[in-house]
Formats: sequence, C-alpha cells, structure tokens
Amino acid sequence: MTTLQSRQDTGRAARPAAPDEEALSRRALSGERAAWDALIARHQRRVVVSLLARGIRVDRAQELTQETWARLIQQQQRGLLTELRLPALALAQAAFLAADDARRARRESVDGTVEDLPERQQPVDPAQSAEKRLVSEEQLARARDALEQVSPGARNVFLLACDGQGLPHAEVASRVGLSVQRVRQILCEVRKKLRTALEEEQP
Amino acid sequence: MTAPTPHLTRDRTEQYLLGALPPEACAELEAHTLTCEPCARLLQEEALLEEQLYEIAAATPRDAVVVRPARWHRPAAVAAALVAVAASALLLLRPGGEAVSPSVTPVEAPVLAAREPEEAPRDIVVACPDLATQEHCLRSASARGLLVYHPGGQGEVPRYDASSGLTQVALSSRPAAL
Repeated sequence: MTTLQSRQDTGRAARPAAPDEEALSRRALSGERAAWDALIARHQRRVVVSLLARGIRVDRAQELTQETWARLIQQQQRGLLTELRLPALALAQAAFLAADDARRARRESVDGTVEDLPERQQPVDPAQSAEKRLVSEEQLARARDALEQVSPGARNVFLLACDGQGLPHAEVASRVGLSVQRVRQILCEVRKKLRTALEEEQP
Repeated sequence: MTAPTPHLTRDRTEQYLLGALPPEACAELEAHTLTCEPCARLLQEEALLEEQLYEIAAATPRDAVVVRPARWHRPAAVAAALVAVAASALLLLRPGGEAVSPSVTPVEAPVLAAREPEEAPRDIVVACPDLATQEHCLRSASARGLLVYHPGGQGEVPRYDASSGLTQVALSSRPAAL
C-alpha cells in the first residue's frame, strides 16, 4: 500500500509536465500554431529516424521531415484532417514522400548516364531496406525472450520510451523517478541486448 | 573527405539517435555521414535497429493494471451489502405500514449499501459489480452524481485513470526495481 502511495505521488508530481497529446492534437486540428510546434518538437526525432532507416541521407531526411510537417499543416488548413494520430500519420506521410523521392530519382536516372544512378548518391536501395525493416516472427520471439531477461524496471523504461507516443526522455525519467542520463543509459543497455537477440541467427 | 571529422562509433551513433548529443556534435556527425559512406551505412543500420525496437515495443503485451476501489477487497463491504439486501427485503415484505423505500429494487440494494459510508466526499469513484448489471448501475450512479469506474472503459472515468489519475503505463513503473 505504501509503495502504491509513493507511486501515486511521483505520478502526481509529473502530472503538469505529462504530455497532453490528445488536447494538443485537438488544438492543432483547430489550427493553433503553438500546438503544432509542440507536436512537431515531440515527434520530429522519430520521423527523421524512420527516414534514416530507409537509407536516406541525413540532410535529405531532415528536408523530407520538414516537408512532412508542412503537408500535414496544409491538409489541416484545408480541412482534410479529421483526426490527428500523430506518430503514425507523420510516419506514413514521410514514408510516402520518401517513396515519391526514390521514384523520381529513378525516373531521372533513366535518361542520365550510368554514373548518375541514384545508388551512387544513396548508398542503400530504399526498397531493399524497407523490406529488411520488418522484424520477422522468430526475431520478434527472440526479442521478447531477451526482453524477459531484462529487469522489470529497465523493461518498463524501454516500453515507456518506445511505445510510439514520442514520450520525451525527461518525461520518462520523471515517471520512473530516475535521471535522464540513467534513462538513456538503460535504453542503450536494452538496445544492446535486443540487438544481439535480433542478430543471433544472421550471418 | 575534405574535413578531418572523426568517424562514427556505435556508441556515438546511438547517442545521436537518442537525441542525447549537443547540437554542435549532432551537426558534426551529420556532416560526416554526408561525405563518408561507411559511416552513413552505420547510421542507417542503427536507425533501422531503432525502428525495430519501436516495432518490438509495440508488439510487446503489457500486463494489465486494473485499479479497483480498495473497498472491493474488504470482506466487510460484502457483509454490509448482504445485510442491506436482507434488510430491504425485510422492509418490503413486512405487512405493517411504513415501507419507506419501495423504489429500491433488489438489484440496486447492494450498490446503495456499499456507497453509504462515503456520501460525504463527492468525487468518489465507484465501480459496477459486473457486466450484466452495469447498465443499471451506471444509470443509478449517475442519478446520484457519482463518478462511475466503467469496466468497459467508456464510462465517465477512463479505465486506468479512475482513482489515481495515472495511466496504465505509469502505474506499472517501478522505480524501486532499479
């Protein structure tokens, strides 16, 4: 009972800083610029990383992310957005823009010379990496086993930080009562364990 | 490779993806990946892993934390409810005169009795006993201005926020375990 009490207390303390994703989304849908800025700040990193994972260069990834937000805001202003589920919607928009980009590069390369093939600028073919990014069933099972081995506290930090809501690390830290540095340290440890779990059977 | 910027290490790349690097270090790292192909590849691998971690986290089931009023676990409450049922039945059955509460149906009686001790504070959250009677329970509770902790999560109080104001994820956070 006492532990529950203390947990409630830490929760209360973190309350004002807790991400009010729903309220922000609603305000953003009504066109409030400040709400958009807050949401963009919260989800920016996730979108950039998703583009980097497709083998897009850093500078282009950042441009595409900007473009993603611009398009979303544009759609909202035209009244085309009825609801805003944020990481997912932005990730889908970014993926669309990336695919479009790759298509255009390929089309231009056809009437160019061999040296101008997109593969020369882009080290990895995005189509190939898009396929690779799907975690297979057995990989997922192994990752789950590995996650079982991790201490409950560390697992919880990992799930909080990666649950797709774009919770900032400072927020995670305040919820579990740790420092931001410690949270990042834990995330790196979990990440290493999961990496070995994912790579186990790969040559 | 015109600028002598250092190559990426895994640790540094992880820090970058976590957003833990200071801005100038970020800029340096980004600039380096633009000119160095192996490092660009490393960055992509790490970003890919990051994405896979998100996928794993999304696919990991969380153990449900159900918040119930502490009252539920007290045998005394059950006993009180039973006594109340018996009393109201007695009242209804008694032939002589003052059947004061004929409106109390047997279904409603235990709910009423359980709430009796806490009429004073207004923001009490109550839970409906089960799915079969929840419609009735909801109606009668809202008639009394009580907040209802809805088993299906569609009541006036969101399921996991019911009594503590915490989300499900926050509740399963255990700082002590670290």
